[in-house]
Amino acid sequence: MVLEILSNVVLVIGLFFVFLAMLGLARLPDVYNRLHTTTKIGTLGAFGVMFSILLKVGFSPIGVKALTVAIFILVTAPVAAHMIGRAAHRHGVGLCKESVIDEYGRACSAACPEKEDE
Amino acid sequence: MKRYIAYSAILGVVWCFVHGTVSINNFVLGVIIAPFIIRPFKSLFRFDTEFSFGNAIKKIPAQVKYMYVLFKEIIKANIVVAKIVLQPKINIKPGIVAIPIRTKTDLGITAIANTITLTPGTLTIDISEDRSVLYVHAIDATDPEGLARSIRDDLEKYVLEAFE
Repeated sequence: MVLEILSNVVLVIGLFFVFLAMLGLARLPDVYNRLHTTTKIGTLGAFGVMFSILLKVGFSPIGVKALTVAIFILVTAPVAAHMIGRAAHRHGVGLCKESVIDEYGRACSAACPEKEDE
Repeated sequence: MKRYIAYSAILGVVWCFVHGTVSINNFVLGVIIAPFIIRPFKSLFRFDTEFSFGNAIKKIPAQVKYMYVLFKEIIKANIVVAKIVLQPKINIKPGIVAIPIRTKTDLGITAIANTITLTPGTLTIDISEDRSVLYVHAIDATDPEGLARSIRDDLEKYVLEAFE
């Protein structure tokens, strides 16, 4: 009974964080800031949903698989974020106008200055 | 050979979890299949470096501590970013900052990069050619030195203990 209630509470928290991730995706200005919300909040949201499944069914095959999925999401979400961020920067997607510093862009143009002319 | 045994045991446990039933039968099946998985991907498992069971076991307390710090930081990160998203008017000063790192091994660099991505307001974009600087996108980049200091003292210390 306690586990049932706890499971529902964790499910609601997880869904709330998924909602926040989508809200951030719509509200924040550029691709890099949007990646912040989708990796961090989205990860905890998905983790919460999976954890609530584990609490509901216990260590049965479904619960163990949910735990595995949660751990794999936690490990792979940052890697996907690196790849999207790097691909965006190399493709010339600029930072939003509120940005104060871009040392990566400076390092990139120092390493291969001829690219600036293209 | 030692390496095959250690990685086979880990992959055996992973196989148990993927299958859904944690039992001796499944574990043994996983261990039997594991060498066929390890062999083609030998270059990923760093067979050229020294390996001993003693060192691997000695690192487990540091790794548990690292997991604890990581979870604490993830919760903190979510609250920070959630606050930014829920503000009526979005007022942020983002930017990409170069952060020097001390970790040298592939595993250590992967761990610190993933940890940075999962912690408050920071997201790893790339690593420099000589593998000594990480380029980190921060949602609040007004104080680059403070950011570098907080990563060095709060996160990298645990990663160095756990994976180097």
